[in-house]
Amino acid sequence: SKREIKMRKLDSTKVRPLKSEQLLHIEDHDFALRPGFGGSPIPVGIDVQVESIDSISEVDMDFTMTLYLRHYWKDERLSFRSNKNKSMTFDGRLIKKIWVPDVFFVHSKRSFIHDTTVENIMLRVYPDGNVLFSLRITVSAMCFMDFSRFPLDTQNCSLELESYAYNEDDLMLYWKHGNKSLSTDEHISLSQFFIEEFSASSGLAFYSSTGWYNRLFINFALRRHIFFFVLQSYFPAMLMVMLSWVSFWIDRRAVPARVSLGITTVLTMSTIMTGVSASMPQVSYIKAVDVYLWISFLFVFLSVIEYAAVNYLTTIEERKQLKKRGKASGMYSMDAVQAMAFDGCFHDTDVDMDLTPFPEPCEENETRTSQTNISNADTPRLRRKRSLKGNVGRIILQNNHVIDTYSRIIFPSVYIVFNFFYWGLYM
Amino acid sequence: SHIFKKNEDLTKAWKGKTEQLLKIDEHDFTMRPAFGGPAIPVGVDVQVESLDSISEVDMDFTMTLYLRHYWKDERLSFPSTNNKSRTFDGRLVEKIWVPDVFFVHSKRSFIHDTTTDNIMLRVFPDGHVLYSMRVTVTAMCNMDFSRFPLDSQTCSLELESYAYTDEDLMLYWKNGNESLKTDEKISLSQFLIQKFHTTSRLAFYSSTGWYNRLYINFTLRRHIFFFLLQTYFPATLMVMLSWVSFWIDRRAVPARVSLGITTVLTMSTIITGVNASMPRVSYIKAVDIYLWVSFVFVFLSVLEYAAVNYLTTVQERKERKLRERFSCSCGIPHSKTMMLDGNYSESDANSLAGYTRNQMVPEEEKPEKVVVHLAMSNESNSSRKRGLKGHVGLRIIQNTHAIDKYSRLIFPGTYIVFNLIYWSVFS
Repeated sequence: SKREIKMRKLDSTKVRPLKSEQLLHIEDHDFALRPGFGGSPIPVGIDVQVESIDSISEVDMDFTMTLYLRHYWKDERLSFRSNKNKSMTFDGRLIKKIWVPDVFFVHSKRSFIHDTTVENIMLRVYPDGNVLFSLRITVSAMCFMDFSRFPLDTQNCSLELESYAYNEDDLMLYWKHGNKSLSTDEHISLSQFFIEEFSASSGLAFYSSTGWYNRLFINFALRRHIFFFVLQSYFPAMLMVMLSWVSFWIDRRAVPARVSLGITTVLTMSTIMTGVSASMPQVSYIKAVDVYLWISFLFVFLSVIEYAAVNYLTTIEERKQLKKRGKASGMYSMDAVQAMAFDGCFHDTDVDMDLTPFPEPCEENETRTSQTNISNADTPRLRRKRSLKGNVGRIILQNNHVIDTYSRIIFPSVYIVFNFFYWGLYM
Repeated sequence: SHIFKKNEDLTKAWKGKTEQLLKIDEHDFTMRPAFGGPAIPVGVDVQVESLDSISEVDMDFTMTLYLRHYWKDERLSFPSTNNKSRTFDGRLVEKIWVPDVFFVHSKRSFIHDTTTDNIMLRVFPDGHVLYSMRVTVTAMCNMDFSRFPLDSQTCSLELESYAYTDEDLMLYWKNGNESLKTDEKISLSQFLIQKFHTTSRLAFYSSTGWYNRLYINFTLRRHIFFFLLQTYFPATLMVMLSWVSFWIDRRAVPARVSLGITTVLTMSTIITGVNASMPRVSYIKAVDIYLWVSFVFVFLSVLEYAAVNYLTTVQERKERKLRERFSCSCGIPHSKTMMLDGNYSESDANSLAGYTRNQMVPEEEKPEKVVVHLAMSNESNSSRKRGLKGHVGLRIIQNTHAIDKYSRLIFPGTYIVFNLIYWSVFS
């Protein structure tokens, strides 16, 4: 019988335990049971070092962060005898055999532990059983963003850590060094945002099915740099509005010029607006940049409408004068304004025009005007007499460029007032 | 008899020959060589296979490299007659201790695994190990775009042990500066790779201690040709096109206005196109400076024509008032009155050459005509005298196309000076 027992020991099918396993009594360690199982909750301290914030996405409303996540707890089953009281660092693959806290990131979309060249895991055990467990993780988590003040906005995002299985009766999660548990690399910076503050906080979360859990928060506030949007959106919009005012200074007889100026500025404003919305989520409220661009669009639009009014009233005036003078044989005595509108050439005084579809070049028209001297001499006097009769409506018709004169002052001043309101309100 | 049978039905797996050779059974992979003793030195050797991509928007780069580790593990020594190394399958790595080197500030990385894991393990009889793997890593690189696209970026890839501080593992470049080799054909389409060199430092983590960190540094200089073709050249052409407007007759209002406004629209499109593929930085880039100054030039050419047109209209109105005051218009044919505007030469205004052409003039006005005409000539003389008295504004009104004349010289001159300054500052 004694001999039988000896033989059985020799052909043991169990793999000989590794030295570390002997050191840490891994065989007796049941990794399915937490330290202090059945007793008081085990406190697990958390320490985070943020390596980088990789990207903030407006369209997906999330952020990606890479961080070193360190857990500190005491497991007496892992204590070992040591005369130096120094900690021992073990290979990361040992964690498969011991109990570790099951922290997860609430509201995360994707996350992974880096695994090049081996899993980025550190396990350090102190002789008294204190354990330091560190991981390098990249996590993409949701952040609810409010764009009503975009791009003059500040976003508050937070990364939340919680134990998945153990509620507060079993595992107490806390920040190891209070507010100083959160540290960041010196170089942490984003191209589009200014990181205002990192702060750590903690709270309790209640799940109706499973109870109360400790939740730790990593909060940070991001303030957007406006310079890029000033250069990309605000400045071009402002220049387009100013360009539309140029139209009021051009002679009202230059119909093709003023119309193409107005409509091309409308086209450019439209292009700018499309460019801004391309990289934004499709939200259901109006953003600050939308307010600015749409009002600038309105100004540009109104300058086109203004010229349409000017041109229309000019045409009415010309039609009235035409009726008064009656039709000459085959040729129409036209006021300089209408002649200009017709063939685009400069005419300084009234001319006789042959209203053919293809007007002849400018010089020939002028030589033909020598016939109508007499009527020209009278019309200025007649015009002035009519105006003295006090017909106010006709004064406005006759001096159409009064609308232009007022517009030259009204449009810029209203736009400047709008700018004061806008920047005062949002900044 | 009992014992003999039990020996035959051994349920234990037959040990592989490797494991017998390297004594894997007794090898505890969770403990580093000389566990509890002095730090183990691990030499690193890198051969860069390629730089796959540099991304400005994400501010990162992707590199594929062969990473080789050299260390001595006496537990793996084996007896050998010819002192040659033995090469083992990569899957043996799971059973022995290997250094846990990771890439600091890496976003994504992986060990290639086609057709099997690209891992080489070579053990020398005295216990020296060569462990090589093929890795692709995407790492962060802080880029400064203030001189884009005439910029140089310096990026570095950092290697560090995850768990072992410098008291446990000393990471060093095996051959000093010669440890870094690159494939001959390594090249990027957009950049010129200036140099690769290695450095090493110590990095401190407040929670975990001092670690050895190795750096692979390289400098990239951007090829400007693409941006010359894509951005600078079109912008310069647009500015030159806007100067064409000064050579066109100022009476061609629609032409000059639409030329100006269409060049503004094209400049706006070029500016939007450049910013589409750039990160949204908060400072101004070199290419922004060029494009915005060009935009201002094009904008000013539109304003210049608005001024020319406005002043022409004002002058014309004055001439008309002048003519109405001397209402007969002096029998001067309209072709000659046209000349009074200053459109052609003003010398004919003082001549009576065209005076006799008109036969429609009533008799009683003849004496007035002479008087009036003389008065008009005095008028024009005195108006010049008035100019000499210091009415500078009036002289400019009469010679409106002087603005055009000056612009033809000033605009190109200023733009060329700007170009000289720009290229000498940034090149």
